[in-house]
Amino acid sequence: MRKYETFSTSADMGIRFKGGDFRELYENALRGLNVLLFGANLRGTAGCAAVPFRFHGDGPENVLVNFLAAVLSQAYQQRKRVAAIRFGQAGRSFLDAKLLVIPCRRPPKIEIKSVTYHNLRLVEAGGLMRAAIVFDV
Amino acid sequence: MARNFEEIAPGRWRLDKNADRAMQADAEVFASRQILQQALDDASIEQVVNVACLPGLVGSSLAMPDIHYGYGFCIGGVAAFPADGGIVLPGGVGYDINCGVRLLASSIPVEEFTAAAESVGYAILQRIPTGLTPRSNYRLNKKEFQRVLFGGAREIIRNFSGAVADLDGIESGGCLPFDSPGVISPKAYERGAPQVGSLGSGNHFIEVQAVEEIYDLPAARVFGLEKSRVAVMIHTGSRGFGHQIASDYIETFRKRNLAGLKLRDPQLVYASISSAEGRNYLQALNAASNFAWANRQLLQEDIAAIFERILRLGWGKLGLRLVYDQAHNIAKFEKHEVAGRTAELLVHRKGATRAFPPGHPDVPEKYREVGQPVLIPGSMGSCSYVLRGTAMGAELTFSSSAHGAGRRLSRHQAVKLAAQSDIRERLRKNGVLVFSLSSQGLKEEIPEAYKNIDDVVAVTVASGISEKVARLRPLLVIKG
Repeated sequence: MRKYETFSTSADMGIRFKGGDFRELYENALRGLNVLLFGANLRGTAGCAAVPFRFHGDGPENVLVNFLAAVLSQAYQQRKRVAAIRFGQAGRSFLDAKLLVIPCRRPPKIEIKSVTYHNLRLVEAGGLMRAAIVFDV
Repeated sequence: MARNFEEIAPGRWRLDKNADRAMQADAEVFASRQILQQALDDASIEQVVNVACLPGLVGSSLAMPDIHYGYGFCIGGVAAFPADGGIVLPGGVGYDINCGVRLLASSIPVEEFTAAAESVGYAILQRIPTGLTPRSNYRLNKKEFQRVLFGGAREIIRNFSGAVADLDGIESGGCLPFDSPGVISPKAYERGAPQVGSLGSGNHFIEVQAVEEIYDLPAARVFGLEKSRVAVMIHTGSRGFGHQIASDYIETFRKRNLAGLKLRDPQLVYASISSAEGRNYLQALNAASNFAWANRQLLQEDIAAIFERILRLGWGKLGLRLVYDQAHNIAKFEKHEVAGRTAELLVHRKGATRAFPPGHPDVPEKYREVGQPVLIPGSMGSCSYVLRGTAMGAELTFSSSAHGAGRRLSRHQAVKLAAQSDIRERLRKNGVLVFSLSSQGLKEEIPEAYKNIDDVVAVTVASGISEKVARLRPLLVIKG
């Protein structure tokens, strides 16, 4: 599996992603979601503003769902795309970061309405963490 | 995973609870052999089995003939729990709370509409916000939005336009009790307020149809359907408001569940109906349901105004009237016969519609003799059906029926297939005009992405859970 990839089922769409540590995991989740939303990731962060994101949850699944929900909120309510994350601290149950955002030149390609917990379980094996998230489209 | 379902009656398949140690109840699927195989292939059967593992389930975990893969519950899933001492689960309702269908009948002859169809299509696309998070034309302030949540369709009729008589043709009179604004998050308010009066995207649509075939003339007369007259179908729900409520309460229930019930799917998280979280969710669900009914009421009024302006037939000659409005993602308190006694249950229907039989007190008086209308839209370009509820359905499925054709291809597969032909042109050749702001969205919704609606309806009828009344052929489709 690549660092991140998208998939679709007869129900909806999702992303699979992996990382050697939590920073890489959350970053690849963002990249996968950006591909669904915009078709590709931005190359740099020039012109981005920083928006704080701080979440303490009960585990990585909880952090992922809330983090990606915040990315969606930026895309649809603020009309901004999250180009990258500037990490403060990232761990199993927490993420303290700045989201680097830039106004969307074009609206997202699809309307993702929610991030679901459907079959969401972080799998840790061989020094890598993997997960798959399904979105309600 | 192989599951040995047994066909216990035409179109009715059962998996005994002893097939899986974790099952508390049987799983039953209403399907043809082909539909059942599709459900085994796409793993939606496993979702029916997962629901059968939940505590306190009354009867069986059920799936309707349009079964397909969802998250948590399958689409087409029905599950009932005791109102007293049972559980409620947001995954058994879905994110788009009170996504549903409204059908309008009219006195407009099809030939008169066809000549103006293109103009009507453009006018609807211009007037009604569709697609990605559009802003509504109705700029509601905070107080007005709150009143919509309290009053549902009633509030729209009181303060915008519409006939009070319409309320009789809406499930639950277009309003469920809601009096606790505090159970709704600021984010839900933020997402919802700008979207009242919008269609949305994905598989939401407005469709103008011809009443093509009448199967049950007395019932069709009662419903106000006349052959070769125009009908209008509206499919939409509670938009971002309902989605945010569902997300918020799945999160809340998850936190509460951390003590450790092992769920086969985290999306099946639940709470006791009597708990604070359960009661709050049910209140929030009612608010979202009221939003959706208000939404469909506003769209009806917009469409009526467009018809009047473009067709120039005058209000009397248009004869636009509401046949029925039904929810297909909802949980409702209902009385059903269980083991010879009347029990109050919380019936979850996710991608399934209510279908009360003749004589049921909750069927509008004008329809009580024939039963509740059941609206089953087909995929884009294919026919839709009007059916009616039956006594057999009351016995077998807590008065539930199918809600649509049921997806069988992923969006990715549909887009790939759609690349091989011009969808708009193909449908135009079949007499269907399609309007959409999103060509991507159109590709995702090609007819081949869905099961054959005729097969779904055939099983629905063969199993006895609903009876056919009329078939509607599309003339004009506006996709969200």
